[in-house]
Amino acid sequence: MTIDEKLTILTDSAKYDVSCSSSGSVRTLDFGGVGSVANGGICHAYSADGRCISLLKILFTNYCIYDCAYCVNRIGNDIRRAAFTPEEVAGLTINFYRRNMIEGLFLSSGIISSEDHTMRLILKTLRLLRHTYRFNGYIHVKLIPGASEDLIIETLTLADRVSSNIELPSSQSLALLAPDKTREKVLQPLTMAKNYSLEHQKHPIGMSTQLIIGATPESDLEILRLSTSLYKKTMLKRVYYSAYIPINNVKNLPSLGTPPPLLREHRLYQADWLIRFYGFGYNEIVDEAAPNLDERFDPKLSWALRNLHLFPIEINTADRETLLRIPGLGVRGVDKILKARRFRPLNVYDLETMKISLKRLRYFVTVGGKLLIDRSMDYQQIQTELLSLPKPPPSAQPTLFEYFYPTVMGEL
Amino acid sequence: MILWCYDGTFEGFLSLVHESYIHKTIPDRITADEITPNLLDERQWIETDDAIARRVAASLNERFSKETLQRIKHTFLCDDSTPERDLLLYIRLGFKSPRALEDFAHPIVYAIHGYERRLLSTLHKMNAYLRFEELEDKTLYARIAPPRNVLPLMGGHFRTRLRGENFIIHDTARSIALLHREGESSFVRIESFETPTLSVEEGSFRRLWKTFFDSVAIRSRLNPTLQRSHVPLKYRTYMSEFWDNG
Ligand code: SF4
Repeated sequence: MTIDEKLTILTDSAKYDVSCSSSGSVRTLDFGGVGSVANGGICHAYSADGRCISLLKILFTNYCIYDCAYCVNRIGNDIRRAAFTPEEVAGLTINFYRRNMIEGLFLSSGIISSEDHTMRLILKTLRLLRHTYRFNGYIHVKLIPGASEDLIIETLTLADRVSSNIELPSSQSLALLAPDKTREKVLQPLTMAKNYSLEHQKHPIGMSTQLIIGATPESDLEILRLSTSLYKKTMLKRVYYSAYIPINNVKNLPSLGTPPPLLREHRLYQADWLIRFYGFGYNEIVDEAAPNLDERFDPKLSWALRNLHLFPIEINTADRETLLRIPGLGVRGVDKILKARRFRPLNVYDLETMKISLKRLRYFVTVGGKLLIDRSMDYQQIQTELLSLPKPPPSAQPTLFEYFYPTVMGEL
Repeated sequence: MILWCYDGTFEGFLSLVHESYIHKTIPDRITADEITPNLLDERQWIETDDAIARRVAASLNERFSKETLQRIKHTFLCDDSTPERDLLLYIRLGFKSPRALEDFAHPIVYAIHGYERRLLSTLHKMNAYLRFEELEDKTLYARIAPPRNVLPLMGGHFRTRLRGENFIIHDTARSIALLHREGESSFVRIESFETPTLSVEEGSFRRLWKTFFDSVAIRSRLNPTLQRSHVPLKYRTYMSEFWDNG
């Protein structure tokens, strides 16, 4: 098989994983030669579906001895299979990198022969890149659950980020659909990684996981509760959400042709963003009474509408945290306001000069003590007016936004 | 209308700042382009004087923060528009009171921030979208034609990224190039050039890249509008994945 054919097959089977991220990693490694990781990551191209191409994202192989119901590569599927050699992957990476086509490598893999055998092949690729080619760009590898500790540890010393995908948000779903996996087994390499950095007092390596959305019946409340605990306990840097695209005809999964719940995925990213950067607790965003995110409004707006008694907020005096909770203001808008009001109290025209849109803001603020809407407006009226606002252009996935301006672009 | 013309160099602009103070004049328009003035226009040529420029630069250095100096440089590089008059007003504002430059809601301050933001966005795009080709002698060669003059700011990024490599970034719109050879960088004017010979491997890597690019899109999520908003057509000339038969 030519390398071109392998690349076609192994790119194709890798692309359903959304956790292609080179953002937010603090570099501590230096291998002397070619490469650097720019802060915030760089998109070198955008594919036809509008996603950022930043990394050479491929599977080492799509051969697999496992039988996960939601995966194209499961053992029973009749698909074309291929496997790279470590030399091929290292060669592609360094050559694309030198030409400024990628920031680095995202290497994942099916399980070929055994967990350890697979991990060893990946490790060999990393050694070639780091030691032989002195490649200094970004490397993200999927750790193979069940691989030996020494292999995992060596991988940690060579990669910038590692991940292990939980995929299904509850243990029941996992047992039902991924019989070879348990949550413990999937989290085991991440726990090893966490303990290793703690023991060696190293800056912890960036770790992430992915949850599939819409394949199984878990609510947004369960999902966001799980993410929150993963951020806290396992020190994960990111949880990725991936709208499920049916690939196999399996009785416990949505049937082929069911459209992926993209809007729900988008709302989850927004909620996740609020939790990580805006000081929201997951239970402020969803609760037992309303366990799923409102698809009509973004989660911040939806929270504000449920908490109208906290508004209006005075632009000139509120602290940063409070300003961040106002719908229509993102990190960038808040920073503009904070900077400008140090100088003198702001009025509505100042907001306009600074190109801060009042479209949503007007319902929730006072500027110099003045309301911008009719005092008598109630929840119903505000909601109706907000719903009639022109829709923003088609939304990109917030994950991709982060590549450009990590703190700026994910604004709600 | 008072119209000031100069040679378009940064030294020329600094000489012009000096002129503005000496004659206590703020022109209505500043331009480096050849233009035919109106009958009513009062047109004046401002001569570039290196010694004066150096003096003005020294007092800017003394007076302004590092960020402000950066911002002035970045604004000046916005050669897609004529930021000179705004920049002059900004500098005068800063000399009157450096604190005034923190008034983000001041129209001139806001405008200058806008220039800078646009320039940095072009820089970021160029850093991401330029492509190197490998020449016979392994030198990496990239051709660009950015809408704003960002080449002067591109060296650092690629020097760290491509340690140990020789590379050339050629701005064909402005006929300048950044040469990096054995750890030394220099800027040169390129009056004419011949298309260089590529290494033998170049074609195959370009094909492999195209294979990857085509395979990576998820068909159920095709979104050309979003793709276009990220990669405007004007950048695609340099990106071989958009060529039909790369
Ligand atoms: S282990 Fe990974 S590649 Fe193999 S079937 Fe499960 S999800 Fe697919």
